[in-house]
Amino acid sequence: MSVLSAKRKRAIALLSLTSIILITLDLQGSASTSVLRGTFGTFFRPIEGVARVVTRPLSNAWYGITNYNDVTKENNLLREKIAQQEGAAVAAAASVRLSQELLALNGLPTLAGINSVSAQVIGDSPSNFSQTVEINQGSESGIKVGMPVMNAAGLVGKITKTFARRSIVMLITDPEYALSVKVINGPEAPTTPINDPEAAVSTTTSTTTTTIPTTQATSNIPGFTPGATTIPLTTVNVTVSVPALAPTLTVPVNGALPVRETGILEGRGPTRVPIVRFIDSAQRFGTILPGAPIVTSGGSLSLAPPDIVVGTVTKVRDRLGTAGPILEINLVADLTNLSFVRILLYQPITERVAP
Amino acid sequence: MSLRFLRFITSRWTRLVLVSSVLLGLQTTLLNDMRPFGVMAQVMVLFAASAGVVYGSEIGALAGLIIGLMYDSVLTTPLGLASLVLGATAYIAGAVPYFVRDATWWSKIIAVAIASAIGELLFPIAQAMVGYGGWVEWRVFIVALVVGGVNLVFAPLMLLITKWTLKETLVG
Repeated sequence: MSVLSAKRKRAIALLSLTSIILITLDLQGSASTSVLRGTFGTFFRPIEGVARVVTRPLSNAWYGITNYNDVTKENNLLREKIAQQEGAAVAAAASVRLSQELLALNGLPTLAGINSVSAQVIGDSPSNFSQTVEINQGSESGIKVGMPVMNAAGLVGKITKTFARRSIVMLITDPEYALSVKVINGPEAPTTPINDPEAAVSTTTSTTTTTIPTTQATSNIPGFTPGATTIPLTTVNVTVSVPALAPTLTVPVNGALPVRETGILEGRGPTRVPIVRFIDSAQRFGTILPGAPIVTSGGSLSLAPPDIVVGTVTKVRDRLGTAGPILEINLVADLTNLSFVRILLYQPITERVAP
Repeated sequence: MSLRFLRFITSRWTRLVLVSSVLLGLQTTLLNDMRPFGVMAQVMVLFAASAGVVYGSEIGALAGLIIGLMYDSVLTTPLGLASLVLGATAYIAGAVPYFVRDATWWSKIIAVAIASAIGELLFPIAQAMVGYGGWVEWRVFIVALVVGGVNLVFAPLMLLITKWTLKETLVG
């Protein structure tokens, strides 16, 4: 009995050591652990396939029992939303096309110019402490680790592991997820004249309408005249103290344009909304209001191209000093109900291998 | 030679791998879809805890390490982490005789549920220890409670399966 016990103890020690070595190898990014996972996957996929077929009726029954009311409610809500958005979508599509044309004319990258692969979500992570999904496209389709994953609404996550015909996508809500993003802050609301007779004496309120002069900008791109592009200008009420010797009054046009500031988006698990931190609390940027859109910032080191929609600001938590505010965000993509996703075959310049 | 091969095929460890494969199939499909209170039931943790309760700390730990290694292969956390966690879970579950002198069927069921909850708590702690932070928060207690509750319900069935799976060699 004691011999058996010693043998078992040796086996426990051996297996524990193996586990520790495997953890070390995996954390170092060793290929051997990927091979091990791939090999196990080859053996396990058929079993999983059979289990999926056999348990499908049970899953469906579960969904039917637990989600029926929600689905009915959601259907009604969605019908109403579709009706509302049908009109807006036409105008939005025209704006997007115009924007893409302008970016293309100026030689700037657009999402339309990046190849992509569509994939189906075939499974979630079988753990309570991981926010990943599995998709049915892999390295054979040109997918590489780090590539951004979107759905029709916006950014969903990034590829963290690839196999020949499947990949693992880490969702934005995973605590390990971080990405450089831009917050687009709307222009400050025009100042309202104060009905104070004393204040009226010391300041001059003037309403100025400005237009862009067509002769100030030149371009080498044939057929493209920057001045010809019209920006819808609003009437701007500006409260200014006019110096006596000022020959002209120049109102900066960009005062009415959105201001951008970059920060880092971080996931915080399934029950808490992601946040954006390291936002510069610069005066120029103004006050961030809930509803401000958040898009990817792009750049040579970022894994995602610029201007993929991520979400909107829901809450601004101010902090003391120069720490800058923390923004809680509402993601545009519904991560609880992913069916199909699009993987942008995008790699930043620093990651591309020279041919 | 043939008798040796037959012994290997019918050994408790071979059976453990086969039964674990089936349970892992359930874990990645049915239990992945059915999430009571938004928490996934953990059949692999249940199996490891049952092994500890039925066959004691040593066999339980061995079984837990093997079950965990298989579970690791479908997770995105570092390979070997779930193995250590489930090994520890089964070892803890095997400590029931130290606390209960003559364990009855219902005390075993409770032990499985408690060990399962502890095992589920160990997951985020182990993840944090290897640098996968962000999961140690109040939610883990809810997760552990739900996993413990679900495993309490399924423990009687799993104890029977475990008893058969880890039985001494059927042949020879």
